[in-house]
Amino acid sequence: MKADVEMHLVHDGEQWIARGGTVVAVGETLHEVDEGVTHALRDSGAFPLGSSVTVFMGFDFDTIPTWLRQYHTHYFNRYITVNL
Amino acid sequence: MATINRKWTDGMLHTEDWWAVWLGLLMFLAGLFTIWGVDLVGWMTKTKTWEWGKFWSDPSFNQLLAAAHGKAGKAYEGLGGFGSLLATYIVFTVLTCIGAYFQKLDVKKFFLGFTCIFFITWAAWIIGHEAHFKALKTGQSITQSEIYGDNVFCTTKVNKCSAQINKALKGMGIDVMAGQDPTKEQAAAAVAKSKNSIRMSWGLQLGGGFSYMLALAVGLIIGNLFKGFANFLREGAKPEWFIKTAIVYLGIKLGLMSMKAAGFALELALAGAAACFVAYLLFWPIVYWMGRKLFKLRRDASAVLSSGISICGVSASIATAGAIRAKPILPIAVSMLIVVFAMIELVVLPTFYAAVAPDAPIVNGAAMGMTVKTDGADAAAGAILDEMMVANHYRTTGETWEADWILSAAILTKIWIDVFIGVWAFVLALIWVYKVERKPDQQHVGASEIWFRFPKFVIGYFIAWLTYVAIAVWFPDAIKAASSGAGVVQSPMRKMMFMLTFVAIGVITDFGKLKGMGRLTALYAIALFAVIAPIAYFVAWIFHRGMVPPTVAG
Repeated sequence: MKADVEMHLVHDGEQWIARGGTVVAVGETLHEVDEGVTHALRDSGAFPLGSSVTVFMGFDFDTIPTWLRQYHTHYFNRYITVNL
Repeated sequence: MATINRKWTDGMLHTEDWWAVWLGLLMFLAGLFTIWGVDLVGWMTKTKTWEWGKFWSDPSFNQLLAAAHGKAGKAYEGLGGFGSLLATYIVFTVLTCIGAYFQKLDVKKFFLGFTCIFFITWAAWIIGHEAHFKALKTGQSITQSEIYGDNVFCTTKVNKCSAQINKALKGMGIDVMAGQDPTKEQAAAAVAKSKNSIRMSWGLQLGGGFSYMLALAVGLIIGNLFKGFANFLREGAKPEWFIKTAIVYLGIKLGLMSMKAAGFALELALAGAAACFVAYLLFWPIVYWMGRKLFKLRRDASAVLSSGISICGVSASIATAGAIRAKPILPIAVSMLIVVFAMIELVVLPTFYAAVAPDAPIVNGAAMGMTVKTDGADAAAGAILDEMMVANHYRTTGETWEADWILSAAILTKIWIDVFIGVWAFVLALIWVYKVERKPDQQHVGASEIWFRFPKFVIGYFIAWLTYVAIAVWFPDAIKAASSGAGVVQSPMRKMMFMLTFVAIGVITDFGKLKGMGRLTALYAIALFAVIAPIAYFVAWIFHRGMVPPTVAG
């Protein structure tokens, strides 16, 4: 699936952090992250207001402890649609 | 640089799962060259059964080890025991270090850790092959001890020793197969002529299982009593990588076994799939309900733990946590629990099943596959169970079951479980997004998630299996030549990967990690031993009852 914005996602033990280009969004829940992304995209001016933007967030598996990576190789990817 | 699965090819160079496929298929392809008379794998070393008194009278590596070549690889004979060990070390160290580099491991630490684990493994394996521990009594010593004596042991497969003794007697004019019995003197002379028969005053008759148990014990001692050394080894201790590579090699073994017993292999595979499907539908909801109602766990914790306990351990807990978008700390905590409990299962279950149900080998193997979490622990437990049950059955009946069918039952059920986890995690993700979080208009769950969670080593396993089946069907004249190379890969090479797994899994298991995990530990223990194990056994019995491995002709 194609996305308008590509971001990668990590969790620092306390909160989720999504980064993609100049856009950064932080939140204790993914819902807060999604809101942060919406605001950041709106502020960036990269997309016209009122448009619908598909955002891809891929979890960075490097943040899973090394010893655990041998058991599984994927956490999750998500697509969200934000209306600016 | 971040590691994100975006394209279907992502991870092919960076994950141990794919590296198990590459290492597995590389040796599988090398083994196939014997079809054209070229032995590319005969340098691999293999253990020999040795007797310490004989060894000390003339100490030599050649008494302990030998190059595993077939007819096409006579040139490797010059390597001797030490040379073939060195060749094995060099080949596997180079290959695994290349893999470690691409997996972004610390190559220097990996090299040092792997080197130590490699030599610890071989030391345990060689010790485990001392005749007093390993050797089984010959068939003659079991059934006609009044003639042959009850102290004749065999340093190779017991049917070979029996055949050697019978052949020697035939040379003396006594046809045992026609019902003639030798005198004690003639029997003694025939035993002396059989090159693989020895007389010993005692023997534990543990078969190859003793090496596995010894390797596991050594690993556990290091992991729990020498934690500084265990940390030093940790980068090189990759039990999942080792065991997945071994499972690809096992595909070759299953292919070879399928040539002889295709119907039984197919029945085993289908019964395993059906049993897993049924077990899945029972395990997960029961454990989830227990977590929510009896232990008052949160919905996400209960879901992750349910998958970990009831499906495929660490892999399932990570997949489920990802599917329901749980914080990563949750599967990490659950995984610590799973790794430790898998070790407890590995130590307890093979002995328990072998003692309680000695006449239900395939049921035991399949139940093991559904009960023991993590591929490494399951394959290791299956291997111990196989060795134990085959040896026990021979000791009590004089009949030899073909080796590795019980192990295959354990692995086949586990493989189906591993394959299903991708689908199950996808279903959970849909439920979570569309029912629990209720944001169907904002989020999309890609079907690619199923592929990213698919255990890739299974591809190597099936390629190896089906290739040998194809050779049997379409090129029957090539079977003998193909079996020569395949024999090296599926036997000493596969067993070495098993042995490396035993040491490595012990090294990374720290029982101290159970401290402070209170409710989770209690739920895990109760669910595993009161729910999962009994149901798994019952389901395995439903689908596999009456199945026994083919017997080896004497």
